[in-house]
Amino acid sequence: MVMRNIRHIRRAWMRLGLTWTWMSLFGSNLAFATEGNTNIVPGIGLLRGIGIASALGGIIVLILVHFVYRKRLSRGTYHWLLLLGLFVLPITATLSSMATVMEGTKRVEACASCHVMDPFVNDLKNPASPTLAARHYKNKWIAKDQCYGCHISYGATGTIAGKRDGFRHWLYYVTGTYSDPIKFVGSYSNSNCLYCHEGTRIWERIKSHNALRADLEQDLVACIRCHGPPHPLPQERTGSAMK
Amino acid sequence: MFTDFMLHSNRCFIQNLFPYLMRCVHSLLFALQPGSKRKKIELPGNGFPYKEGEVMADKDEKSEGLTRRDALRVLGVSAGIAMIAPLSGCGGVWERQPVIPVDAWHKGVCRFCGTGCGMMIGVTDNKVVDVKGDEYAHNRGRLCIKGLMNREILYGEGRALYPMIRKNGKLERATWDEAMDLVATRFREAIDEYGPDSVAFYGSGQLYTQESYTANKLFKAGIGTNNMDGNPRLCMASAVTGYTSSFGKDEPAGCYEDMDYSDCFFITGSNTLECHPILWERMLDRKRSHPETRIIVVDPRRTFTAMHADLHLPIYPGTDVALYNSMMNEFIENGFIDRDMVENYLSFQEGKQKRTFEDLKKHVAQYPAERAAKICGISPRDIQEAAFTFASSKATLSIWTMGLNQQVQGTASNRGVVAMHLLTGHFGRPGATPFSLTGQPNACGGVRDTGSLSHALPGGRLVANATHREEMEDLWKVPRGRIGPKPGYHAVALFEAIAKGDVKCCLVMCTNPGQTLPNSNLYRKGMEKGFMVVADSFHPTETTIFADVVLPAAMWVEKEGVKGNAERRYHLYPKVVDPPGEARSDLDILVDFAERIGHGDLITAKTPKDVWDEWRHISAHSKYNFEGITYERLQKERGILWPCPTEDHPGTKRRYIPGEDPMAHGGGRFDFYGKPDGRATVWLDSHEEPVDPYTDEFPLIFNTGRILEHWHTMTITGPVPELQSIHPDYLEIHPHDAHHFNIREGDQVIVRSRRGEVELRAKLSLVVRPGMVFATMHSAKHLVNQVTHDVYDPFSKQPAYKRCAVSVRKKTV
Repeated sequence: MVMRNIRHIRRAWMRLGLTWTWMSLFGSNLAFATEGNTNIVPGIGLLRGIGIASALGGIIVLILVHFVYRKRLSRGTYHWLLLLGLFVLPITATLSSMATVMEGTKRVEACASCHVMDPFVNDLKNPASPTLAARHYKNKWIAKDQCYGCHISYGATGTIAGKRDGFRHWLYYVTGTYSDPIKFVGSYSNSNCLYCHEGTRIWERIKSHNALRADLEQDLVACIRCHGPPHPLPQERTGSAMK
Repeated sequence: MFTDFMLHSNRCFIQNLFPYLMRCVHSLLFALQPGSKRKKIELPGNGFPYKEGEVMADKDEKSEGLTRRDALRVLGVSAGIAMIAPLSGCGGVWERQPVIPVDAWHKGVCRFCGTGCGMMIGVTDNKVVDVKGDEYAHNRGRLCIKGLMNREILYGEGRALYPMIRKNGKLERATWDEAMDLVATRFREAIDEYGPDSVAFYGSGQLYTQESYTANKLFKAGIGTNNMDGNPRLCMASAVTGYTSSFGKDEPAGCYEDMDYSDCFFITGSNTLECHPILWERMLDRKRSHPETRIIVVDPRRTFTAMHADLHLPIYPGTDVALYNSMMNEFIENGFIDRDMVENYLSFQEGKQKRTFEDLKKHVAQYPAERAAKICGISPRDIQEAAFTFASSKATLSIWTMGLNQQVQGTASNRGVVAMHLLTGHFGRPGATPFSLTGQPNACGGVRDTGSLSHALPGGRLVANATHREEMEDLWKVPRGRIGPKPGYHAVALFEAIAKGDVKCCLVMCTNPGQTLPNSNLYRKGMEKGFMVVADSFHPTETTIFADVVLPAAMWVEKEGVKGNAERRYHLYPKVVDPPGEARSDLDILVDFAERIGHGDLITAKTPKDVWDEWRHISAHSKYNFEGITYERLQKERGILWPCPTEDHPGTKRRYIPGEDPMAHGGGRFDFYGKPDGRATVWLDSHEEPVDPYTDEFPLIFNTGRILEHWHTMTITGPVPELQSIHPDYLEIHPHDAHHFNIREGDQVIVRSRRGEVELRAKLSLVVRPGMVFATMHSAKHLVNQVTHDVYDPFSKQPAYKRCAVSVRKKTV
């Protein structure tokens, strides 16, 4: 009877421990969800929390299940917990963290996290700057995720080229091999501007726009060639851009 | 499987590796399926989830199996290769590629307006394929649509490719030798028989400085005639006389950078948004970063520029003098006069009489707001508000172009604006300056500064001044007396003389007077009479059709040279491609011409660099000194602002300030070194009634101007494919007037004046005021200059395009 009681007690402890772990993880999710940062993108904190919780939870579950409680679990329970720890939680963690990255990188804070971007973010938030970025930000023409509003090719539903560019940027940045001052390579896609601007009454009545419509749609002429500069020019950048 | 790799050398690295990797992965996936061989892992106890000896499936076929170890190896290597491979140079995979690939970018400048935007010119295979703004130039990488279309202009239809001579009434192809021989012979005959004043040169503010300078020297100091004028006479002459009568020297005192510091922009007679769009953007930038900046626009039309104004004064054309006198009256009455300026730095003049400040007070008191408002057709309140805003802001910058210049009272209007700045002290500080904008890219550097006008000599000198003539004769190393003492024919008079037969031969370069002269019917008939030699890049134009000899000229970056934009910036245009056909640069044509008529020993500088060096050394003997702007500096930098006397001088942003302007001396606030007493002059001018009176027969005011998308007479922008859909031959008419004359939108109408008529398409618009109609000067199919008046400003001889009296009626089919 003492042996049976000990097994019951240990199972009780285990259940208590697991419950406590889950509740604390769930609680920290809630904490993330209500964090001040997340009122811009309410989902990011939650996604991040789920990802972290799943990752940690998965590790904990696997360690506990395989090394500590294996002998005390029935085969069915063991298999279900392995399914949880090897597949469900890792997949959840992967999806959540991917979503966090894909969606989180749309935020201005994400761009600002690399210091080579400091001059651009300083300019964006400078109400006295006449660059396109600053004006769109100052006048709230783009409600949130202002960088993404024009550089629209990233995100989970973005282009392959966007992901390649992101990878390339990351690679050059961490290896310190980017050229300074940084420049936009290739032709800027006008669809980023035309997405909002084309078809409006003001845009359509400008003779130059109508004359260049075909060129603009094929990116033979960039909107920013007349209406730029979108960001401070190399000689105008302030803030740290040092490697 | 690992051994079936085959290298295709005509494919890039990725294209070689990727299929192989795909095959590896494919095999991998296949191998990892259940049923492939793998090692059994024995675990202690009952931990192993399967019964001993059991495999998940009992397939036993021989597959191209990989062990897990091999799988990991392959995956690891592939990942590594995938990381490094993109750096191999397969550009399209790794980086965004530009839509228009360019071999090399060259630093240059836009072909069109007086803003003079820096641009990078992309060349591939000896062809200009793309242009983009130069980020390091004053325009900060911006271009307008005409700037962007620079990449198309060299390749338009209608390029003149070979010389032509008129034989039996038709233009036929000839060789350069034939053409130039004929030109030289006819000119020589005319000079020998009728004297040097029987030949003339009509140049352009779009020729390079070296070309205008050479033509000026050849005609004035070689041939010995002062019949050497140009199309800036039709454009900027009143600005020249406005500045020279106020300061003694031509050209604005400020620079574009002043727009970054102004608190009030007073834009009068300028549709800046359409005609100097990049400067307008710069002014808008100032307003965007400082929203309290005020923009006042004085323009008869409610242009796109006026739509952005905080205050718009839609005055009648030709009433500027009344407005500025009234504003000066407001300044005096409200205590906005800078006493220091008045007492120490200004003098006053009316006509030939010296005056005092008290005289000015009495003079402008004749223009109280109520009276001026009636003359101008606006409200007195607006005049008072404009005056208050102008005077009370921290720094006021005035901008004007053709609205002021192309009037009978052009000079008076120009110096009225200058006077407002001088009296209120809005001068010489960052953001405070009267800035006349130049229309053409090289009217300043090429024609005004080199004195390539019929009354002028280089460096601000005058033909009528004996000392000046002697100075130039010495500098040009010609005998005293070679330069004639009488000013030659100005533009309108020149073509009048050709029509009369007083001028037998005329060389026209880089301009289209057949379309741009006012009252053009008269002068077009005249051009049939004279021996016209026309050098242009396009044929046919409204001038080449009258030519006896057509010479094909190279254009823009097909030839090298220097131009000077509106802010006194001399900048270099490089040669990056070869001209088409047999076209040659205008400098080559002039040098060739000089040699053939016997002045080859005078025109010793035959290349752009040599001419530049000669001219800059001569400039050191004047207040337009730019000797320090060497060719090397021009090649390296994005232009330099003169005065620039030495090679280490950075250029001058604001003139007349001792300490900043190297030509200014003394310790005072200003040194107006252009005037003998060192004081700038405020002129007392009176409003004059219009010359072409309105009657019942001609009740409407006819105004002319431009649109953003086209340049001048459309010879260059007309063939551009993107601009084909823009038709500028319309007549803007207010609905009130349209109703009165029974005209509907889109009707063909006849606009008639005392001189001629033109057919246009009616466009009902609220842009014009009732009583006023507007047409553009661009179209060759509908020549609005048949209607305009060739009356001109008495001081500058600039014609008044901006108003005449017309009638409008619907064309009866």
